[in-house]
Amino acid sequence: MKDLNEMQLGALCEMGNIGAGNAATALSQLLDLKIDINVPNVRVVALESSDTWGDRGEIQVALYLKVEGEAPGKALFLTSTQSGEYIAKTLLRMDKRPDLNSDGIACSAIMEVGNILVSSFLVALTNFSGIHMQSSIPAMCIDMLGAMLQGIFLDSDEVGDTVLIIDTEFSGTSDIEGQFLFIPDGDSLDKLLGVFGL
Amino acid sequence: MNTVLVGMGDYKVSRVPDALMTIGLGSCLGVCVYDQMAKVAGMAHIMLPSSRDMPQSNPLKYADTCLSIMMSEINRLGGVSSRLKAKVAGGAQMFAALGKASAMHIGEKNMDAVSEELKKYGIPILAKDVGGNVGRTITFRIETSELYIKTAKSSNGKVI
Repeated sequence: MKDLNEMQLGALCEMGNIGAGNAATALSQLLDLKIDINVPNVRVVALESSDTWGDRGEIQVALYLKVEGEAPGKALFLTSTQSGEYIAKTLLRMDKRPDLNSDGIACSAIMEVGNILVSSFLVALTNFSGIHMQSSIPAMCIDMLGAMLQGIFLDSDEVGDTVLIIDTEFSGTSDIEGQFLFIPDGDSLDKLLGVFGL
Repeated sequence: MNTVLVGMGDYKVSRVPDALMTIGLGSCLGVCVYDQMAKVAGMAHIMLPSSRDMPQSNPLKYADTCLSIMMSEINRLGGVSSRLKAKVAGGAQMFAALGKASAMHIGEKNMDAVSEELKKYGIPILAKDVGGNVGRTITFRIETSELYIKTAKSSNGKVI
């Protein structure tokens, strides 16, 4: 991954904002709840700098989708188990929070949320940039944060020393919170930045 | 007893009464190499099999470069090469649904590379807990040469 200047980082941040804004709107409509996002954080990190990831041992819910098309990459939605259960409960209008480790229908609901989030993100980005992107079906995992992240970052034909991450935090009423990561492949960066003439 | 934390793409060596620990192994491999008589050990958190195409990269990330560096550190602490043994854990495929479609099976490749490297030095793998779809947090007690393994699914864990 090459070094990026301030302007390039700013451009990627703006793209993240456009995508995540649309994704948050979709999630908000789906759950009929207010969802806020922060300004995306764009960073280039060394794969082994595990400190960046908070508590590596914490159990979280991860939805992982591959981004395919003209600017391939990866997309990831991370949420706490509590928030994941709350999302499933809201979506399925259940009386109490389901156990994601045993409730297959609740898990399907969460995966659908991942689908909608990432599709909305990519649709907004495609509309804005003219670069066509779509997502694969989601894979779900509930496990240690550090273990899941390394599974994702190392899942490439060519693993570099660093990755670029466009990271947006979601929060909503009640117990909903999460993090959306967009990780464009190295070659895709040039295409995305090309939209801005950078 | 001190617990020495081993980061991703790093290794640490120590001696009794310490323990070595690494948190959240996914497709990475935790490799413990120890001399039970001298009571010294090292633990590596291997991310990738081969540094071949990455000459500028951090050598501690790769099976083929990290283990030899760790071994000389173990020798420096008084470990005797002919007495060294190994225990290994990790190498999972975290997202089961990706299955064969997923690139690589990096966990399996890491295990192959580590086995080959240890064989080169004549170090037997006495125990392993590898593969599957679970993350692992591992702790190696140098005093007893026991490797404690915890997963998200079983917080009590097991000992190998």
